[in-house]
Amino acid sequence: METLSTPTLASHLRALSALIRKDWKQYWRYPLNAISSVFHPLVWIAPVYFMGLAFSHNGKALGFAQYSGTTDFMSFILLGTMLENFINAVFWGMGYALKNDMDSGVMESNWLTPIPRLLILIGHSVTNLVVTAITSTGMLFFGGLIFGFHPTGDVLTALLPILPMMIGLYGFGFAFAALVMLMREANTMVDLSSFLVQIFSGSNFPVNALPRYLLPVALALPLTYGLDSVRARLIGTTPLVPLNVEMILLIVFMFVMLWIGTAAFRALERRVRILGTLGQH
Amino acid sequence: MRSEPIVSAPLGRSTSLNEMRALAAVIRREWTIFIRYPSWIISLLIWPIIFPMGYILTARALSGVDGSGLTQFQINTGLTEYVGYMAVGTMIWMWQNVVLWNVGGALRNEQMRGTLESNWLSPTWRFAYLLGASVPQLISMLVMLLVSGLEYAFLFGVKFQGSLPLTLLVILVSIPAVYGLGFAFASLVITMKEANAFVFLVRGIVMVFCGVTYPLAIQPQWMQNVAAWLPQTYIIHAVRSAALSTEGFQGIAHDLQMLVLFGAFWLALGMAVFAWMERRARQTGAIGQY
Repeated sequence: METLSTPTLASHLRALSALIRKDWKQYWRYPLNAISSVFHPLVWIAPVYFMGLAFSHNGKALGFAQYSGTTDFMSFILLGTMLENFINAVFWGMGYALKNDMDSGVMESNWLTPIPRLLILIGHSVTNLVVTAITSTGMLFFGGLIFGFHPTGDVLTALLPILPMMIGLYGFGFAFAALVMLMREANTMVDLSSFLVQIFSGSNFPVNALPRYLLPVALALPLTYGLDSVRARLIGTTPLVPLNVEMILLIVFMFVMLWIGTAAFRALERRVRILGTLGQH
Repeated sequence: MRSEPIVSAPLGRSTSLNEMRALAAVIRREWTIFIRYPSWIISLLIWPIIFPMGYILTARALSGVDGSGLTQFQINTGLTEYVGYMAVGTMIWMWQNVVLWNVGGALRNEQMRGTLESNWLSPTWRFAYLLGASVPQLISMLVMLLVSGLEYAFLFGVKFQGSLPLTLLVILVSIPAVYGLGFAFASLVITMKEANAFVFLVRGIVMVFCGVTYPLAIQPQWMQNVAAWLPQTYIIHAVRSAALSTEGFQGIAHDLQMLVLFGAFWLALGMAVFAWMERRARQTGAIGQY
């Protein structure tokens, strides 16, 4: 039998599966956290629901429709929140998992194993993505029951733009995880960046409602087109640009981000090894 | 002449002076950890801007291009503008949120680092661990509230027409309720071991019920009844009234009365839960587990 010290594809897959199993076990060890991740996004949404009521007449947000093309602001927000959960899973899954490893004192020993570093990061994100899929489905179900969710388009077509968007996000996640390693701090960076991305990619509102001077930031984020594209396909909102153009942008983003992310990770990881700060936190 | 050492009693013999020394040591340690990570500057300056921004921009989208949604908002709520209203609500929410994470998570963090059990065994005043974690946190939060106010005035154009002394009075009176909840929370978290879930629950209740971004009258009656039992409802209302309106003391008198009662209740409960947890920890021997 091959050992990890003679790396092969099979040994890499074994290491990946061990990482996933470990994270999976650790996650379900705290069942209240799992339950809260279903209901927690609804807590963020509830104030927006009441706010929406305050701006509506007979349950219709006519002002909102002028920007988005739909008066159904709750379906708009629920969908945005669900996609945002996946985006965060890549942020948290990699950058935050590394910080957890640092705090638990296992980072250095994990790093010394003969496994590709990027594989460690991917392994950390897989459980997070599976858990996000489970909890987001639960969130959409309960959110639909409480606030109402009315998809009108084809679900499978709506899934198309998600694929290049998520793969591209991995590139970003690699670079971000390396930054966490260098800075040795994750909470603020993770919270802040994911919150900013959430605002500028329009998870809770159509980006064309942003003040003019902030709109270029939103349009420079590929995630904006991902969210916009899924919404246009599923709940019939007015897209920012034609849907096929959005798809091309997402595919280009996927390749560019994977390339930049991998290069940034390698450079920063090398820097951390030179500094010798891998075991510090 | 040979001078006697100021402190001669060792920590093994419990005196008030020793307890104060232990408290000072915990405060020093927490302060060192706090400033060790420079990202606290980012938190202090940037969070007060971007957190309310999410809600303010959603409100802007709901207002519509021609402002028809805003007219509807004015008819439904009687409010003329929403920016200051939401900025103050979210600022108080952030305060409670940070207290839950930092003070509420203080003992849990020690548990995760593996230092709680050994500290617990030292002959020190145990409440000092919790109280000591609160002091640097309180200082940083007061600075953050000040920074938030300045940022809202200069960046969001919020007109603070009210009274600064009355606003400070409300914040001062709110401290026991906010930190009492943090103390009770910290003790529960190290017993139940699921800090995230508890923080999400408590801050979620505040977010949904206390009218952080909308007037309470929009909520159904049963939610308004729940809100009446939460101190944050009164803090938010009182700070809005003191800072944004010209109602003066009359506008906050009832809130202050309620906050004093809630403060006494939560401080007493916080200390009682801590005493219970301390006894339970010794009985079960599970304090070092996580």
